[in-house]
Amino acid sequence: MESILLWLAAILIAPFFSALILKVKAFFGGKKGPPLLINYYTLIKLFKKGSVYSNSTTFVFKLGPIVSCCTALTVLLFLPIAGFDPVFSFKGDVILVLYLLGLGRFFTIAAAMDTASPFEGMGAAREAYFPILCEAAMFMILIFFYRITGMVQLSAFFAGAGTAGLWQAAGAPLIFIVIALFIILLTENSRVPVDDPATHLELTMIHEVMVLDHSGPDFALIELGSFCKLFFYSAIISRLAFPFDTGIAGYNLGIFALVTGCVYLVVGVTESVIARYRMDKVPQFVLTSFALAFFATIITMEFIK
Amino acid sequence: MSQFFLAVITILCGGLFSLVLTGNKTLSRSIGVILISAGSLWGLLSSATSLMTGGEGVAAFSFLNVFEFVFRMDGLSAFFLMAIFLVCLVAAIYSYHYMDGHGSALGTAANYFFFSVLAASMALVVTAGNMISFLISWEIMSLSSFFLVIYNYQSEESRKAGFMYFVFSHVGVVFLFAGFGLMYGVTGTFGFDAAGAMPEGIKLAVFILTFIGFGSKAGVFPFHVWLPHAHPAAPSHISAVMSGCMIKTGIYGIFRVYTLLGLTTPAAGYLVLIAGIVSGILGVAYALGQNDIKRMLAYSSIENIGIILIGTGVGMTGVATGNSLMAALGFAGGMLHVLNHAVFKSLLFMGAGMVLHKTGTRSIDALGGLLKSMKITGTAFIVGSLAISGLPPFNGFVSEFFIYLGSFNGVGLSGGALVAGLCAIVSLAVIGGLALACFTKIIGIAFQGEPRTDAAVDKNEKGATMLLSMVALALACAVIGIFPAAFLNMALMAVGSLGLNMADIPLAPFGELTSNITFGAFIFLVLFILVAGIRALAYRGKPLAKSGTWGCGFTQPTVKMQYTGASYSGSILELFGPAVPVAEDHPPIQGRFPEKTYYKSQVNDVAEEQMNRRVVNPVLFFFDRLRWIQHGDTHLYIGYILLAIVLLLFFV
Repeated sequence: MESILLWLAAILIAPFFSALILKVKAFFGGKKGPPLLINYYTLIKLFKKGSVYSNSTTFVFKLGPIVSCCTALTVLLFLPIAGFDPVFSFKGDVILVLYLLGLGRFFTIAAAMDTASPFEGMGAAREAYFPILCEAAMFMILIFFYRITGMVQLSAFFAGAGTAGLWQAAGAPLIFIVIALFIILLTENSRVPVDDPATHLELTMIHEVMVLDHSGPDFALIELGSFCKLFFYSAIISRLAFPFDTGIAGYNLGIFALVTGCVYLVVGVTESVIARYRMDKVPQFVLTSFALAFFATIITMEFIK
Repeated sequence: MSQFFLAVITILCGGLFSLVLTGNKTLSRSIGVILISAGSLWGLLSSATSLMTGGEGVAAFSFLNVFEFVFRMDGLSAFFLMAIFLVCLVAAIYSYHYMDGHGSALGTAANYFFFSVLAASMALVVTAGNMISFLISWEIMSLSSFFLVIYNYQSEESRKAGFMYFVFSHVGVVFLFAGFGLMYGVTGTFGFDAAGAMPEGIKLAVFILTFIGFGSKAGVFPFHVWLPHAHPAAPSHISAVMSGCMIKTGIYGIFRVYTLLGLTTPAAGYLVLIAGIVSGILGVAYALGQNDIKRMLAYSSIENIGIILIGTGVGMTGVATGNSLMAALGFAGGMLHVLNHAVFKSLLFMGAGMVLHKTGTRSIDALGGLLKSMKITGTAFIVGSLAISGLPPFNGFVSEFFIYLGSFNGVGLSGGALVAGLCAIVSLAVIGGLALACFTKIIGIAFQGEPRTDAAVDKNEKGATMLLSMVALALACAVIGIFPAAFLNMALMAVGSLGLNMADIPLAPFGELTSNITFGAFIFLVLFILVAGIRALAYRGKPLAKSGTWGCGFTQPTVKMQYTGASYSGSILELFGPAVPVAEDHPPIQGRFPEKTYYKSQVNDVAEEQMNRRVVNPVLFFFDRLRWIQHGDTHLYIGYILLAIVLLLFFV
């Protein structure tokens, strides 16, 4: 029961965290920035609106937002939040989770290609490209976790004493893993330096350009889905950053929220101090995460027999 | 076994009657379709029954008192028979409307004749119990499929593809002869049973020789060169049969020889795994580079053969290291992928066939927007694409899931098994991502957007049997994906006859894993309905406007501005560098009044180029020198034969 409440709370609070990034970027830009509840206002506004559909589109265009939102929500069901047990958990669930994210991507791309827009095609091609490298890195990280825990299950890594166990078993290489996960977070969620969600030029966008033609509640679903997806990765990093159990549920939740907020702040700072990379440099950046995870795994072979 | 033979005979009768009744075109086609599909259905049911009941059977026929034909059915044969009969059943039904008005009456009848021979010979290959029956069935299979490839013999492309296929299948069979010959030389019998007692070195040599032979049939990189030529040349239901099950006979051969030899050296497992990884990654990368819809599917078959071999390699490594759970997971995943690939690849070829039938072109850059005029075909094609990309809740995910878990078991070990598991996992992840890119490309360019040329404007999707077959296969993708338990059990039955010690293998985790997959699919579907419901609520009573696509401020868009297939895949292919070379031809725009220019790009197959340069050209040069032997004088030819016999007498 409490896991389901946590799941609902995560969905409700995810838009708030995303607003933190905007606030940080505004601070660096010397601006006041939008209110912290901006994303809720936007979602409510979008849900109230109607939609305009392109003549070129088919049912896939309408299916895209549903699937991408629904996969993000499903994925959160398997995520241990603040060390609590997830709603559902089984052996190999993390493979299902990664492939569900792939399913969401498939439909986002298909919905973009549905509009016959060359810009959206361009975004779609990039959206198909970078996650290939991300997935390789992600599975490399899973190999690392498997070496230590002998499990392929999210709750074995991030619930209860699991995370603290990871640090005890392989503290130093785990720092590599945290950095690798952060790079994956930036890539999978279309943040700077891979993609710039705030750019004004469609040619240089990845994710934003793919959803240009979506409007109203459809767009709200896409936004909600991407907030949840960002929360998913941030929660993992936050749990790795603070793996301890204080013994009191309230404290655990509070600290978790604080640390997660910090992850978003770091994303905001990264976006403010780094310019986006040229498109052909992005693969190298993403492959860095693979290399880090690979080295971390190699290190475990020496020290953890 | 008698059920099996009756089913095969029924299939053969279909082809024969079709040929006899050539005079009446519709009757000839109908009788072919009815008997082939009836025989396949019969065979499907009987092989499924014998798989579930664990029934085994042997039948032996003596021929001229010289050879004995032995046919034997065990779990492995029954599993492959299921895949073969399933694809042939659906392909036969599909062909009824596909062959409608396609070519001459005799051509159609010949197509059904060779189709029935191909179906029957594939069934015999996977049940063959000794070398003689195996090689003869194998040869009939290669020849009948050769005649099917050159169905459009008027076109030069088809003839070339057919010739290439002919040469490749015969070079491949030479390796099989070498492997089997070595086996015969050591054991002194045509039977398979004594093979397990051979010395380890011979075993490995036999395995490698037959692996090359079987690999060239299965399309393992770099012996795949014939495949992207032959599959597109054949009519689409034949492409479905060839890709869906004929190339799997190569996989069957690898499994069978592995079982017979009882190999335990890790080297064999690594060989299979490396072949699988190379075929998987390069297969899908080349698929991504293609703009011909059927060529793309052909390369994607190479990729899936790669995935099957990765599973097999993981399983073999598991056996070699004595980790029975890893072995069972890897083998079961690979085995299940055989069935899954048969289902979704034939679905995709049938979808491509529908597109080809109605638009007359295979080039995706000439198509676009077909989803609007071909709703059922398009939807079925999307389902097939999701399945082949390994996405839940469809069947491709299930088999990859098991291969992943098997590989993770290897990662927990040390040494070779660790490296094998690591490579398998990472390459499966990369293959999955590339397959997603590949199939979003084909859907996005061919089925979505706006028609790029007149070929794709105002098309229909008439042809009830074609639609029926595709819908049935799409449903099968979903059913296996959501309820994999029964199918996994069948795969495990087949794995059981691989000579593993099944008593060692804990079967409880398998039941748990399949129920988890079902559970995960249900969670997803429930949330999907929930979100769709919220969306429907949000749109209740709202105005929905129709308008043009937002052109980012540009007001005069044309269909030519849409993204093309080559631009979609361009940046991803750059990652592969010289392994997947893209040849571009684009005269630059020059002068104040520039001439009309064009852009052409194509992905050249490295294996084909190298093979041409290093093998084909030297061989041709050598044979050119020997031309004088071929003078056309019959007397001297008879002299050659006599001379050869006399020389051979010295050795006997």
